[in-house]
Amino acid sequence: MTQPWTSADDVRRELDAVDYLVDDGMATALHLALTLEQPLLLEGEPGVGKTAAAKALARALGADLIRLQCYEGLTASEALYEWNYQRQLLAIRLAESRHETLSDADLFTEEFLQERPILQAIRAKGPVAPVLLIDEIDRADDEFEALLFEFLGEASVTIPEIGTFVAQRRPVVVLTSNRSRELHDALRRRCLYHWIDFPEPTRAADILRRAVPAATEPLIGSATEFVGRVRGLDLDKPPGMAETIDWVSALAALGAAELVPQDVVRSLSALAKTPDDRASIIAAVEGATLGQPGSTG
Amino acid sequence: MSQPLLRGVDRAAFAASLTAKLRAGGVAVGLTATEDLTRALAASLPTSPSRLYWVARVTLVRRQSELAAFDAVFAAVFDDAVIAIGRANRTPQRPPDASPGDALMPVPRANQDEADGAGLPWVTLPSVVALPDDPSATDADQAVPLRVVSELEALSRLPFEQLSEAQTQLLGRWLEQQLAGWPTRRTRRRRPGPGGREVALRPTIARSRRTGWDPVELVRVRPVRKPRRVVVLCDVSQSMQPQVTPYVHLMRALVLGVGGEAFAFATSLTRLTTVLRHRSAVVAVEQATAQVSDRYGGTRIAASVQALLASHHAEAVRGGVVVIGSDGWDSEPPQDLARAMARLRRRAYRVVWINPRAAAPGFEPLVGTMAAALPYCDDLLAADTFDSLAAVVAELGSLSSRA
Repeated sequence: MTQPWTSADDVRRELDAVDYLVDDGMATALHLALTLEQPLLLEGEPGVGKTAAAKALARALGADLIRLQCYEGLTASEALYEWNYQRQLLAIRLAESRHETLSDADLFTEEFLQERPILQAIRAKGPVAPVLLIDEIDRADDEFEALLFEFLGEASVTIPEIGTFVAQRRPVVVLTSNRSRELHDALRRRCLYHWIDFPEPTRAADILRRAVPAATEPLIGSATEFVGRVRGLDLDKPPGMAETIDWVSALAALGAAELVPQDVVRSLSALAKTPDDRASIIAAVEGATLGQPGSTG
Repeated sequence: MSQPLLRGVDRAAFAASLTAKLRAGGVAVGLTATEDLTRALAASLPTSPSRLYWVARVTLVRRQSELAAFDAVFAAVFDDAVIAIGRANRTPQRPPDASPGDALMPVPRANQDEADGAGLPWVTLPSVVALPDDPSATDADQAVPLRVVSELEALSRLPFEQLSEAQTQLLGRWLEQQLAGWPTRRTRRRRPGPGGREVALRPTIARSRRTGWDPVELVRVRPVRKPRRVVVLCDVSQSMQPQVTPYVHLMRALVLGVGGEAFAFATSLTRLTTVLRHRSAVVAVEQATAQVSDRYGGTRIAASVQALLASHHAEAVRGGVVVIGSDGWDSEPPQDLARAMARLRRRAYRVVWINPRAAAPGFEPLVGTMAAALPYCDDLLAADTFDSLAAVVAELGSLSSRA
């Protein structure tokens, strides 16, 4: 057991202490990931707090956060381990100058091994097991998923030249995906799974209170309600919690104490990410009163 | 402190039973997931139905598309039905001759099919060769590929309306063979290969072991190329009825050959990618037909394109080839389609519209919606016969050389 949390309520309380508010589902998912020592795959629309969950978990546990950002073309040498060729060549030249002979066993040792995030998580020696965030796994090639199977299933990495490294304490592994492609069943099978929905208005307001202390209560209330309506529009990119926080921060920075159409339009770049979305939201603003009778954008 | 919900209940039996119900309800629950649920219940028993729901959902469900089915089954088990976790059910019922220490596990009733000699379903491999009297074996499954060329020549100018079922399946098999030259795109991944410009350190050093650690032979790497993504949308409205089956075969060929995403639309959008992957073309087309509940009705092209762009599959459109198979007859205002097509065009690499009516002599895109969509299409191609469909495939295959 790497942490003293014995229930989902504990998880919720500890994460609350680091300003990350979770609902029942998320608390249960994180609690099970910690208790069963299994990787957790988080999916959801962009901006619902998948990456933030891993960061908050690391903060709450007092653990190191090791992050592997996935991208197309990510290889084993960037994710698992790599040999330090320069040092190997230097060692060879040095041995030659001393008229010594080197064998494979001399060159492929831990001394010449460069740890990449996954091996780093396995060999971590700190007092608390690290949190390994494998971010946006759907961006990596599907072949890359196969590289992770051994690690996800057995918390180990096999290096042909040396042998198998098994984690003494299983790292807490959080994978995130935006579903830009389907992940393989074999990867899903090795993970617990949680789909994160957009937060309920009440919880969204709670999150905003924590994230943007400068925002007034009327501003938070109307902004939450407005974002809920915006998500119902036909948008390329419906605003997530991250965009909402950015937007309310922008409004607070502009000195807005309440939501008025002029401020919505001025700060819209934080909420709308394409010209089409911007036009749609402005049209919605012009068609609504936003609680300000008679005022339109 | 509230009492655990399932105290005294056999956790493994509970997990297995819930798993069976979920499987019957369409949720693909693996054995590992069932084990996960059992371990989760052992680690901490839920204290409320809501907590039980989350524990079961996190451990048993592995994809978002299955959440609705999971919710339905869970509600049927725990909300709609009166769950039998009363005192009487907590205590295992012992037979009169059982000793107090006996642990009893529920055993599923024997499968009735076993009595007729069919064998155990989970250990019996399917027949490798269909038996002569096997009613499920069709001529199409046994067809010899060598027949394809001459038959195709005979059928090349026949409109789709006049094709028999066997001829349509022939078209499907032929289409799958035609996609060998599908356009590719360069990826960030690199792989050793001749002609590469960069030297790969790792394999070079590995190979230099044979030459006393002198890197005599340089291993070079070059970029890997991947098939360009393709998204194909097929109109299955009333006016497209004769073309639907050949187009579904085209979609299946694209799904199998180049990993495309396939959708059918009439008044709503239906994803067919999964069902079209079935190894039997006949079954795939049957399942696809069954899945599209609104086929042969009206058409809402703009709404369907918007639904695609709003779904998470929209990512497949980015940088991909989008093929729309439709006659362009739409019940929505043309400006709606123009707006949807403009968004689609901004994301896609190429937009190709295939229209069965474009082959008619003197065809002009005078239908309002077709005219509205055209400015956003890279190509408008006719597709009403084998010949024209072959031209479509050739055109799609040449996209990379023109880019």
